[in-house]
Parts: sequence; structure tokens; C-alpha cells
Amino acid sequence: MKGLVIWIKTEEGADESILDKLGREIEVRGGRVEVFHSEAIENLGMENNDRAKAVACAMLASHGVVVIASGPEHPSINPGEKLEVRIIEESDLHRTDTKDIFMRDLELAGLVPPPKYDVHPDEEKEILKKLQDLGYLEE
Amino acid sequence: MLVPPHGGRLIDRQYEGSEAEEIINQVRDGKLLTLNPREKNDLEMIGNGAMSPLEGFMSRADYEMVIDLMHLVAGPVWSLPVVFSQKDGDPDVSPGDHVGLKDIEGTIWGDMRIEDVFNADLMAEAEKTLGTIDDSHPGVMYLKLLSGKYIGGKIRSIRRREIESFQNYRLDPKETRVLFRARGWKTAVAFQTRNPIHRAHEYIQKCAMEIVDGLLLHPLIGETQQGDIPAEVRMRCYEEILKDYYPNTRVAMSVFPAAMRYAGPKEAIFHALLRKNYGCSHFIVGRDHAGVGNFYGTYDAQMIFDKFDPDELGIVPLKFEHAFFCSKCGGMATPKTCAHDSQHHVFLSGKKVRAMLKEGILPPPEFTRPEIAEILMEAARNGDN
Repeated sequence: MKGLVIWIKTEEGADESILDKLGREIEVRGGRVEVFHSEAIENLGMENNDRAKAVACAMLASHGVVVIASGPEHPSINPGEKLEVRIIEESDLHRTDTKDIFMRDLELAGLVPPPKYDVHPDEEKEILKKLQDLGYLEE
Repeated sequence: MLVPPHGGRLIDRQYEGSEAEEIINQVRDGKLLTLNPREKNDLEMIGNGAMSPLEGFMSRADYEMVIDLMHLVAGPVWSLPVVFSQKDGDPDVSPGDHVGLKDIEGTIWGDMRIEDVFNADLMAEAEKTLGTIDDSHPGVMYLKLLSGKYIGGKIRSIRRREIESFQNYRLDPKETRVLFRARGWKTAVAFQTRNPIHRAHEYIQKCAMEIVDGLLLHPLIGETQQGDIPAEVRMRCYEEILKDYYPNTRVAMSVFPAAMRYAGPKEAIFHALLRKNYGCSHFIVGRDHAGVGNFYGTYDAQMIFDKFDPDELGIVPLKFEHAFFCSKCGGMATPKTCAHDSQHHVFLSGKKVRAMLKEGILPPPEFTRPEIAEILMEAARNGDN
């Protein structure tokens, strides 16, 4: 299975909580995911720069894992047989459909299974209310 | 457990409220492409998941696979192209562009991230999908009006409930799925119709209801050809008959916002796959389903299902003959169940019924329930059919 590096282009020193959020969503869907914070590089005793981070991410991802990282620079990772790289702007992540597209791409790549539900459980409650309002179901 | 969506996942690319506003703001000042009525229907049905696993208008690879092999590149069966055509006066676009999709009045209904712009041989498409290039086929005529250049890419659609027709009957696939579950249905049969309900339809529907948990009455309200009974009239007929003749906990009626393509057998597959996305496990296929004129054989739309592995379709076709009232049997029957000559059968063609209504003659109760006949008569008087 191909791994994937999702590289989010951010401002220097940007808040990395957005990585955790995306990582959680992939994890909830059953994907193998690793969120690679900047401090991880320092904890590994390496210099904190995008090149070092990119190399570490590529090594992880080549084992069939989705790796999420961020940085201001374009990462120097070459996609190959074992690895795909997706670079997105942080601002794009706030767009309505970016995460949907992501999840779908991950599904198609076999990195997360399709959802077990056809309708999200939270949305199902709203739909039940609508069906009652329309007279399809009794209160 | 309901039947899973086609391709495994119910696509949801439909937005409303603030999310729809966001889409409009992104595209309103950029390139806008024009949807024709069929494309507008398709946009809605891609967005609401009825056309799962499609996430947009087809690119060349899917288009060619579909017209040649009736499969998508990703594998699932798909019998008809779902494409967006370049229109005269629209801006030129290329892959990578993000464009808005508007109707002819200028209302924005969605957006598309363009992945492919390609030329198509429309008469080859007609031959392969409709089985003809004859101008008298409405599908051929439709293709002849197109530019021959298709634009593919993922879409997002905008739901504008406030201006939708049949608001109380508009259920998306996720909504019918929730409804079926809430009613405890594990199996459901869909009935596709573009005609008013007669006794023959009622008989077929009720036969099907005997073997499944529920019936989804799914009248098509998208674009049809001139001469078809208007959707408003058909819906009134269904509302009337549902009052007294069907158990209301075992039937749901919702509109099917697709345009007719009149592609006969291939459209029968298409209709079935879309109903699978609505949560239906079974689909009623009558004689000459989605046919027009004499372009298709009587049983073509039923036989085409045999070309596929049942698992790859994932929905069971229920193949029915024409039904009629038999005076000897004293009830509804079909050629499969009736031993008597046609002289004992009450069966009227749509053309004959229209002629009777025009002359102020009500069709006999063995053919149409009186309540329905009254509605059709009133519509005829008002010039609605």
C-alpha cells in the first residue's frame, strides 16, 4: 500500500493544532496516521527545518502510513512507488469541501476504509426531524 | 441493513445556507458556465448522492469506459454518460480552472473544478448509448444540439429549497435511507414512473410489495418530452390513490429529479443504480422501460440486466409484463398469470386514454380508478395533458 504525506503549507511558526484535527478525522475513519509536529524533529535531535522534517515524513509514510506535517517551505520529497505527496495551503483546509475531498482521496488510495455508515449519525438525527415535519414519520 | 450505495459510499457534495453562500462568493466574479436543464438535474443528483459514486461530470476516461464498456474506470457498473457540454457564449476553460455553474437565468447552482476538457464524437455516443442516430429519437436530437466539447470535473451543488418544486416530496438518498431504517425496512422496491398511475401500475407495485418491506414511489420530475403527462398532474394522481388504496406505513413517495434520456435498456440500468443509492434493494422494470417509439425491443430493458453479475449491480430487477384487468379472471393479471384471450382484457394505450379524456369520456374503472380518472379529466379540460 502506498503511503501519503500531507504537507500543509503554513506561515512560519503557525499553530499546528490543525494537523491534529485532520489527523483525528483520519484516525476516526480507521486510517493509520501520524501527525508530525515540528517539535518531533527537535526531539529526534535533528535541526528543525523543513528538509529534515520532509525526509522523516517520507520515511514514515513509505510504510503505508498517512503522515501529516506542515511548514512554510515546499517539502523536498519525491513521490514514488511507495509514496504520494499532497501539498495544500492552510487556507484551503478551511474550505467547505477540502476535507471531504481528502477523505475521498484517501479512500480511493486504500488508506482509509469507506465509512461504515451511509449517513453520518449526527446528520441522521436532523433528517429524522425533517421526515417528521414532512409527515413521513410520526413524532 | 440496507443495500450499500453504489461504489460503497454515498457521495454528499450538496451544500446550503452559509456553505452555499461560500461557494457562490468564490465563483460569482469568475468564469461561469451554463447548465442546460438536463445538466442541472444531473448536477443536483451528483451533489445529493443519487449518482454515487460520481463526484462530478465525467472526464474523458470515464466517458469512454461508460459508452464502450458500461463501467467506470474505478470499476463500478455505469451505463450512461453524465457529462457537461461547453455552450456557445460561455468562457473558454482549461483543466485546473475553478468555475461556477449557472442556469440560463443566471442563478448559480454549483461549481466545478475542471479536470478535463475534451472533444466527443456525439453520433458515436448516440449509437453506443441510444442504439440509434435517428433524428426522431429525442436523445439523438438532444445530442445534436450540443457543441461536441465536454468539460469534466468534481462539482459541488447548491440546494435552494425555497424555489424547489414538490418541496414536501424532495427526499435525497440519505433521507430515504434514514426513512427506510426508521420504518424498519430492510428491503424496498422502487417504482420509476413518468405516467399517471393506472390499475396496471397499482397491481405491479402491490405484487412487488408482497416480497419486500416497503415501496418507494419515485415519479420522475426532470425534463421529459412533449406529450408526457406533466409531473404536477401525475403527483396529484399519486396523492389521491395513496389516500385509500395503500397501507401508508409501507409506502413512501418522493420525487426523482432526473431528466429522461429515453435510452431504453441502458437507462433501465441507470435508473436501477440510482435507486440503489436511495436505499432500494429491488427495482421494477416493466416492458420497454425508458423506451420511446419503436427504438427498443419489448424486453430489451429487462434482458440487459442479465449481462451483469448480480453482485456488481447490487439491486434486484423485478421484471414485469404489462398488466390488465381480465373479465374472465375477474381481476388484474398479466400474460404470465392469465389463461384468457385478449378480448377479455381491458387494456388501453396512453394515446387512447388521452383521446378519451379529450372527448370527455372517463376511462373504465377496470383501467383507472375513478378518482384518478377525474384528475386526468380535469387536467385535460385545463389543457395539462
